[in-house]
Amino acid sequence: MPDPRVTKLAKIMVHYSLALKPGQQVVIRTHPLAEELTLAVYEQAIMAGAHVTLQNAVPGTDEIFFKYASDAQLDYVSPIRKLITENFDASLSIWTEHNTRSLSGVDPQRMARVSRAGAKLGQLFMERSAKKELRWCLTVYPNQAMAQEADMCLSDYREFVYGAGLLNDEDPVASWKRVGLEQQKSVDWLKGRNQVQLKGSNIDLKMSIKERVFIPCDGQVNFPDGEIFTGPVEDSVEGWVRFKYPAIEYGQEVTDIQLWFEKGRVVKESASKNQELLTSQLNSDAGARYLGEFGIGTNYGITRFTKNMLFDEKMGGTIHLAAGAGYPESGSKNESGIHWDMLCDMNDAEIHVDGDLFYKNGKPVV
Amino acid sequence: MPDPRVSKLAKVLVHYSLGLQAGQKLVIKTHPLADELNLAVYEEAIRAGAFVTILPRTPGAQEIFYKYASDAQLDFFSPLDKLITETFDAFLTIWCDHNTRSLSGIDPSRMARVSRAGTQDFKTFLDRMAKKELHWCGTAFPTNAMAQEADMCLADCQEFVYAAGLLNEQDPVACWEKIGQEQKKIVERFKGHNQVALKGSNIDLKMSIKDRVFESCAGEENFPDGEIFTGPQEDSVEGWVRFRYPALFNGQEITDIELWFENGRGVKETATKNQDLLTAQLNTDAGARYLGEFGIGTNYGITRFTKEMLFDEKMGGTIHLAVGAGLPETGSKNESGIHWDMLCDMHDAGIEVDGELFYKNGKFTIQDHPGK
Repeated sequence: MPDPRVTKLAKIMVHYSLALKPGQQVVIRTHPLAEELTLAVYEQAIMAGAHVTLQNAVPGTDEIFFKYASDAQLDYVSPIRKLITENFDASLSIWTEHNTRSLSGVDPQRMARVSRAGAKLGQLFMERSAKKELRWCLTVYPNQAMAQEADMCLSDYREFVYGAGLLNDEDPVASWKRVGLEQQKSVDWLKGRNQVQLKGSNIDLKMSIKERVFIPCDGQVNFPDGEIFTGPVEDSVEGWVRFKYPAIEYGQEVTDIQLWFEKGRVVKESASKNQELLTSQLNSDAGARYLGEFGIGTNYGITRFTKNMLFDEKMGGTIHLAAGAGYPESGSKNESGIHWDMLCDMNDAEIHVDGDLFYKNGKPVV
Repeated sequence: MPDPRVSKLAKVLVHYSLGLQAGQKLVIKTHPLADELNLAVYEEAIRAGAFVTILPRTPGAQEIFYKYASDAQLDFFSPLDKLITETFDAFLTIWCDHNTRSLSGIDPSRMARVSRAGTQDFKTFLDRMAKKELHWCGTAFPTNAMAQEADMCLADCQEFVYAAGLLNEQDPVACWEKIGQEQKKIVERFKGHNQVALKGSNIDLKMSIKDRVFESCAGEENFPDGEIFTGPQEDSVEGWVRFRYPALFNGQEITDIELWFENGRGVKETATKNQDLLTAQLNTDAGARYLGEFGIGTNYGITRFTKEMLFDEKMGGTIHLAVGAGLPETGSKNESGIHWDMLCDMHDAGIEVDGELFYKNGKFTIQDHPGK
């Protein structure tokens, strides 16, 4: 019998996050190390009457691919991915890694090329998701590599993951719905407002959110969850930000990133480690130097940084900005093959909206 | 570093069996327990410039599917599989199991229903393969489950598998090409002949091979290999056969199968174990009671029955008959959602072709043949 939280999580994924109906087509992207959760979700989905496609990673193939692939292979987009993106009703990604740093030796240019090739399908995925034609959810299954990345032992990391998902609660779905109601208060207050100003020791940034929509996130698209986000008006971002938390892309760590914006565009970037990766990702395509997302973490149950963005960006007391593609449902028009979240500590910062104080020292004040 | 035979096998599969070219689309259907071979093949295929999709099973999912799937789910055919069958250039199946008997508890009529749902796809696959629009190869990766099924320890099973593939040879491809040439001589002798009569303590069967083609198999579509086969005239098969070796279908063992044929159709079947599975499979669709294949094993290096058909049907001294779909390149016209090989011991049997003795007591009696 699996950990009872795994069974609970599987039920939530299938019935709450994806809300699967009989006859729907769902793809589960997963990893052999997540077999316990994969089988629990598969069973729930089959019992719900869905047509289920399991896509398992083969640990080691990404490394081989990036090592030996020709340009034609890097540029190739699988017709299988296309078919799923165009036709499926639901997509669940179970994020598990056998080695979070296995792509450390790969040339960033080759990664950017792969991002570029996938841009069109990534855009279509987001559009179908915005139109509610496609429901998707991303979750994590804890293992040693991820615990190691977070400086934890596996059993502590497991408790961290299931705790953050409120899976120790009697009725986690009810708890997540309460989180959603709480977030709605901030979303309602922000509605119809325009100018956002973020100021603190790590940030001095202005942006417009005119006619953009803030979305509350309560466990349906990400699990665990806890954030509100929008897409800023693309050409409105001005100023500077420093991300004290390292950003991780394709398993490479980029530390102490600073970005300078003019008319929405990143005109200068620096990092103390792997700056080359940062620059090549920002040069992926035209949209990669613009922000697609501005999000505010609302989960104060997540109290430590684990170098996994699914959790980190939800942390109360942080905001995140994503370079690249925005979510159409937020009103964002930015398109790109990348969507790279970066995390900014806000514990000594303030956010004013149209001159009114909205957020101070890591918490909303409205 | 993997077992050097695994690296060798990966090269043979990619370059010889599949003849993979840059720009071709390859799918690898496999199992996580075969990761050593999966990665070796993946690397060879990527370096050959192919576009590779690798699809490992999730151990345990099939059991859940058969346990809980509704009729609509059993009847559903994945559009992904359809896309792959219709458009990919190369297919590699790596047979590998975590438990060869995990589907033992499943209702046979549910399995037959799944076979039926795949009939059209299977036909497309066989048609494209006959037209050489796609290359397929099936191979096996040894695991403890496979070794257990064969009454062996894993190390012996590995040696068995790699030896049967001639992977201890300096140049396995050269060996397989030589086998292919020898088999072609036998195939030549069958050409233009009509009536085949098989007679022995386990078989008394007649069939026509008029206008049908024997294919010589030397590691292109199965690896390891060693057989020649054709598709008999569908309505010509008459008589009786007993398969002394147990047949396995989706992990269920059916023992001591006997079939009686009239006008090509299996009109009666018996088995001492799991007869209901046998009957359910033969009732899958109209073609399931007709023979799609008559094959003769030519690999005298395989000396033991392992209950893995990939090896068993190649064994010198055996023939195999498959109920269900035939391969169009042989001239077979039989269509079905199933293709189920059954193995018959020929050590005390003979084969006469238009009255001439071709085969006796497990060996060819005609010139220039393997096993003589």
